[in-house]
Amino acid sequence: MLIGIPLENNKPDVRKPKDCAAEMSAYLDSVAKTRCKASFAKIFGYFAPRLRSYALKQMGNEAIAMELVQDTMSNVWQKAHLFNSEKGSPSTWIFTIARNIRFDMLRKLQNRKEDVCSDDLWPILCEQTADPKETSLEEKITLEQVGELFNELPLKQKAVIEAIYIDGKSQQEVADELCIPLGTVKSRTRLALQRLKDMLATHD
Amino acid sequence: MIKFHPTNEQLSQFADGLLGATEALMVSAHCDMCERCMAKVELYTDASAEIALPQSQDDDSVDFGSMMHNIMQEEPEEGIQLTPKSQIIELDGRTFEIPRTLTRYTKSMGNWSRLVGKLWQAPVDIGGETVANFIYMEKGGSVPEHTHRGSEMTLVINGEFSDGIADYDSGDFMIMDCNNQHTPSTNADEGCLVFSIVDKPLHFTSGWARLINPFSHLFFK
Repeated sequence: MLIGIPLENNKPDVRKPKDCAAEMSAYLDSVAKTRCKASFAKIFGYFAPRLRSYALKQMGNEAIAMELVQDTMSNVWQKAHLFNSEKGSPSTWIFTIARNIRFDMLRKLQNRKEDVCSDDLWPILCEQTADPKETSLEEKITLEQVGELFNELPLKQKAVIEAIYIDGKSQQEVADELCIPLGTVKSRTRLALQRLKDMLATHD
Repeated sequence: MIKFHPTNEQLSQFADGLLGATEALMVSAHCDMCERCMAKVELYTDASAEIALPQSQDDDSVDFGSMMHNIMQEEPEEGIQLTPKSQIIELDGRTFEIPRTLTRYTKSMGNWSRLVGKLWQAPVDIGGETVANFIYMEKGGSVPEHTHRGSEMTLVINGEFSDGIADYDSGDFMIMDCNNQHTPSTNADEGCLVFSIVDKPLHFTSGWARLINPFSHLFFK
């Protein structure tokens, strides 16, 4: 099937990632410069099984794990020119690609609504795919607007609310001060809050 | 000088991609501003790469041949790295440098509106259950004393403020929850711009601001 490109799966490479960093850097370089398939086969033979172990541990599902391996190695093939050996080792670069893909995959699987993607957090493969979508923002009610609505309250209700919420008095103190029954203070407070609530609701 | 950093645990989880989205966003933005934490994250990432990609378990049943073959049929991309480092936003005649992580969100940022007194806010739509805002305090401005029903993450983008618990400076990152009651205010001449994410409405604990509490879910969205 692959003429002249041995996969070398039968002879697992037992070296630690950091022990073959220079070699892998050189392979990445020739993939970047000449699309060298033999070099990519070396990288693939070394990293694909390792990525699969990592992905299985992280995702716990064979099919999803293989998808992660596929996407990661595909990025390595397509974007080898973005690898910079001065910034880090090949294993770190490839791990970060896998980590980013895993982060985005998990968020999709969990159906999370936050608009946060791995490119925001770790711009490793960034080719600036800025999303120009303009989100229309709901109009927000501000404290200032509450202040305006507050001024529209009937005077008697306003006085009670002012005393309680601005001066920090208790309802009993307000009752004593205004020489009105406690029950009246309570009902005025309740009415005022209800009114504000209605005004805010129609404002919405 | 930055005094408040994410914990080593948070930085390590961030490096591994295990933090929740909004927390990761805050930690990432902090790292944009803090070389020390950025360096730590790089160390944790290197270490994780060594640990995460050790020798694979032998499993001869997996056939990678066709996967490799298919990948090599794909066209390479020619793109170059074009990550903007930061972005400048303007408010009240002043300019502020927004850390790289948050630049995409400044595009969907809402208009600045005056909250109360010397406090301004511009909402940022990051979706989900949380609410994110840029908040700007003019000199002498303050947020009424409040506590939190959920958690509030804050990153100081530019300037200084105090909250009765500590003094904060550009780059400082903190998480407040229901155990923290505070009254942020600033006396810095240039005011203070922060980025804040809350997952539940604030609960105002004193003064006239308590008036807001019955309606806080409306403010919250």
